[in-house]
Amino acid sequence: MSTTYTDEVVCVPRTGTLYDTLELILDRGMVIDVFVRVSLVGIEILKIDVRIVVASVDTYLRFAEACNRLDLEHDTRSATVPELFSGQAAKKIGKRKVKKAVSSVGDTVRKAFSGGDGDEDELEPEPDDRPRRRTSSSSSSDRPRKRTAAAAR
Amino acid sequence: MSGHGVYVYAIVRAGRGGPGRRSAAEGGPGAGRRSGAAGRSGGRPLPDGVRMLREGPLAAVVADAPERVRPRRRDLMTHQELLLALAEEGAVLPMRFGMVARDENVVRDQLATGREAHLAALDRLDGRVEMNLKALPASDALAALVTEEPKVRRLREEARRRPGYEANLRLGEAVSEALARRAAEAADRAVRELAALAEAAVPGPDVAGCVRNVSFLVRREAAAGFLSAADRLAAAYRDRAELRAVGPLPCYSFAAHEPSSAAGAAV
Repeated sequence: MSTTYTDEVVCVPRTGTLYDTLELILDRGMVIDVFVRVSLVGIEILKIDVRIVVASVDTYLRFAEACNRLDLEHDTRSATVPELFSGQAAKKIGKRKVKKAVSSVGDTVRKAFSGGDGDEDELEPEPDDRPRRRTSSSSSSDRPRKRTAAAAR
Repeated sequence: MSGHGVYVYAIVRAGRGGPGRRSAAEGGPGAGRRSGAAGRSGGRPLPDGVRMLREGPLAAVVADAPERVRPRRRDLMTHQELLLALAEEGAVLPMRFGMVARDENVVRDQLATGREAHLAALDRLDGRVEMNLKALPASDALAALVTEEPKVRRLREEARRRPGYEANLRLGEAVSEALARRAAEAADRAVRELAALAEAAVPGPDVAGCVRNVSFLVRREAAAGFLSAADRLAAAYRDRAELRAVGPLPCYSFAAHEPSSAAGAAV
């Protein structure tokens, strides 16, 4: 039954990053009563990393800032995205700028939670496991690069 | 035996591969090195220290547990990669990360007492894989949001007329709310379309920053089509949500014998 196809050819597996499946590994899968589940102290911090939209005052203010900098004045009703960025302030604003403002929210969250005793790599996210959106926007090379030490591992 | 117990990765059918040759190497999470000399499962090498523990028609995929199992990156990766490899070769009941039995006898007893239920679950999952879809707000599509959301536009105008902390807070909150709502709406439409390609769909655990997290049970041969469909939907909704589909995965969300009421709820 499983010989009628070759899944390597038909389907290139997309297993994503560890962050794409972390909650499944930790919260799904079989639990058997007579086995002991090891303590996962610290895992909450792993989970919170990289998810950038957090309901907090800090996030709100950053969104407001990014929002205020958009130039929608010319025509707020019919403006398309390219038009939005072709205005006089386009050089300063642009999609990249918004992305930067938003990603710095995540940086703040990460910084707040990942500082600590550096106990091996227990809590330390590495760039490789970030969602791809981060690397896909890597053209914005002026974005602050953190964790170069981790990247070298 | 290391004396710290037995780390259990998964339960599989015993007949699917030879029993892994026992390795003297210390195993368990952390022993992620691949070696052709280690045990084999259906012809594919298992990592050092990982072995099959057979009991009747079933086998547990185990390794000696280290002194302390911790959620370190490499341990999580070892767990995930081994389960992915096992799932490529046939039905697998993946254990949740961090399950340790006192010794091999406890594992064997479990395989014997749970035999019928395990076999039934393996039958149910035979030829199936799990596909997971996560939806995040499209936070880089802010311009589209401001243009299309009257409330956000109004608050933005107010914040520009009378700048200040309160006005910015209200604006930012409205942006955040609109981002989440738009993403959730797009995700729900995507989930409905993808559910048509799946045999079952269950909500996954809440993930910070995700507005939806749904796992689908899909026939293995339908996995490629599922990913294509997910990519098409991701492109169609890019101004409203970031849709991320992964798979094929071991059936983490469908392995439980009795789905909990939460896991069994319709999406």
